[in-house]
Amino acid sequence: MFFKIIDKESIVDLYAGLAAEYDEVTGPKTSPKDPRYVKFGKIRDASQLRLDYKTSIVPPKKYFLAADERLMRYDRTTGEVYDTEPPLQTRALIGVHPCDINAILMLDDIFLNEFEDPYYKVYRENTFIVGVSCMPSPTCTCNSFGADEVHRGFDLFLSDLGDRWFVSVRSVKAAAIVDRYLDAREVTADDTRAFQERTKRFKKALPKRMDLDQLPLLYDAKYDYPLWEDIGKDCLSCGACSVVCPCCYCFDVRDTLSADGRVGKRHRVWDSCLASEFAEVAHNHNFRPKAADRVRYRFYHKFVGNFTRNGKMLCVGCGRCTTACKAFIDPQRIVKALESEDTPASAGTRKGGGAQ
Amino acid sequence: MTENTPAIATADTYKRLGANPYRPWPARITSIQQLTPKEKLFELRIIDASVRDAFRHTAGQFVELSIFGVGEAPISISSAPSKQGFIELCIREAGTVTSAMHRMRAGDIVGLRGPFGRGFPFDEMRGHDILLVAGGLGIAPLKSLINHIHDERHEFGKVTILLGARSPKEILFRQEFDMWRHREDFDLQMTVDIPDDDWDGEVGLVTKLFDALEVDPENTYGAICGPPVMYRFVVAEMRKKDLDVDRIYVSFERRMKCGIGKCCHCGVGHKYACIDGPVFSYWEAMNLKEAM
Repeated sequence: MFFKIIDKESIVDLYAGLAAEYDEVTGPKTSPKDPRYVKFGKIRDASQLRLDYKTSIVPPKKYFLAADERLMRYDRTTGEVYDTEPPLQTRALIGVHPCDINAILMLDDIFLNEFEDPYYKVYRENTFIVGVSCMPSPTCTCNSFGADEVHRGFDLFLSDLGDRWFVSVRSVKAAAIVDRYLDAREVTADDTRAFQERTKRFKKALPKRMDLDQLPLLYDAKYDYPLWEDIGKDCLSCGACSVVCPCCYCFDVRDTLSADGRVGKRHRVWDSCLASEFAEVAHNHNFRPKAADRVRYRFYHKFVGNFTRNGKMLCVGCGRCTTACKAFIDPQRIVKALESEDTPASAGTRKGGGAQ
Repeated sequence: MTENTPAIATADTYKRLGANPYRPWPARITSIQQLTPKEKLFELRIIDASVRDAFRHTAGQFVELSIFGVGEAPISISSAPSKQGFIELCIREAGTVTSAMHRMRAGDIVGLRGPFGRGFPFDEMRGHDILLVAGGLGIAPLKSLINHIHDERHEFGKVTILLGARSPKEILFRQEFDMWRHREDFDLQMTVDIPDDDWDGEVGLVTKLFDALEVDPENTYGAICGPPVMYRFVVAEMRKKDLDVDRIYVSFERRMKCGIGKCCHCGVGHKYACIDGPVFSYWEAMNLKEAM
């Protein structure tokens, strides 16, 4: 990685360069439906970019794990399966915050492990990521999850120094873009000082860090505590949190047929473990029939499940769920509830423990 | 990751074939046998010869069965690993996919993905007594294990099979098992909840069969599969016979949609039934939230 300095206005050149090199350029822009919000969408002109945005409604995970992805087409009569590759399209994704890049790195652990997901892989390999620095919103808790900084997972990173960008060049592709399209100059001691000051300002604006060291153990220990009933009573099982979560990735698989029934397609769509039928098997047996079971599982997967498997909690503290949840359920509430002086209804009982 | 070996083996096979793990391989239904009013045994043959040769399963693993235009469902493999070239699936008519499967005829084409998951620890079980307990459709994954043990019968000590069903009509593989009752190398006992006039076996829950059972706890592996409610009671009986918690194996039914640890539908505690299971030791299961 090396660093360069470009003028604030050079973002126009960066956009032009990316637009020339990539099939599509996407980034944060004002939501056409409501100017108060910013969403990631196709950028047709550099002036559309809102690089000073707070948080997008839906995270950029949608470019790697589409809300509705066609997995294949098939001929129902012959069983012939075709179109199993996603359409090959290169994309530049501008303006991704550190938390969202950290979330993409977590999705990498899941989708690029020994069972590689070919769709995710194609999108990931064909996307040029430009990160951008931010200032925390009141709902941000990224620093509690170690997601306020990012060191990999992007090609280029822009840190805002007021009248100029401090540019981190991470990949060969990025070096070529800088070389070909940007009028970049070397970093001076003044620039580095300004960068340090910006970082300091950012850190100072972050909320107090939550101490999460005990969280996985505490969660296991209090799994049968009544706190889950309380939270479950509030949960609407709407799944809005899963939609806006940059670390949620579960999906459902569906088949649809052509009108004449000869050919069909299989696609996957975003799902949520809060949906009542999520863990249902044949004969309507449901392993998580109550909202309380499901909300407990959702956060268990985030704070304990993935932590046990991959050493990371599936949360980057972006605060989107805090905004999206109509029932005021978010990671902070879960952490507080687990830390509170709660006692189990019947101490010492363990579901399914009958035979120890 | 050693505990994931069979799942990893499949991942390696997919990599070697350069195959998309979501892509079902067309397979032809070669025969259909009506076992009970609700269950049929399907024999399938993957059409592509190179894929067919690469398909190697262990007892307890499952496949994702595709009915084109309807969807996919996870189904445990009933045939023994030795029955190469053909895959047997015992399917109850229950949901949309399994109902559509029941409407299929021999010669029809379906899709298969897999084999997925971790099956029974066959190599570890070798040289020991085996106690298998199945309730209802739970015999489907255990049938593969029974067939595999049958193939290598001399490698095992005493083999006991306890079968429970609601009624005599609902006993799966009944013809075959009826004959087995007279074999000396298998101790097979059956019980039903509701007997009919011809029933001469036991009546009651499968746990009842434990009363007269002699088990050498130092030398026995247990394997259980059945409806969710059954596990706790059967495990309790096995524990009463002093079987160690890590010598009792249970196979879980969950809603595995992808089979490769992505979609999260089969999450049990911090594990996924599709890649870490569906077979777990009781020790693992009792340490997983919501497992039993």
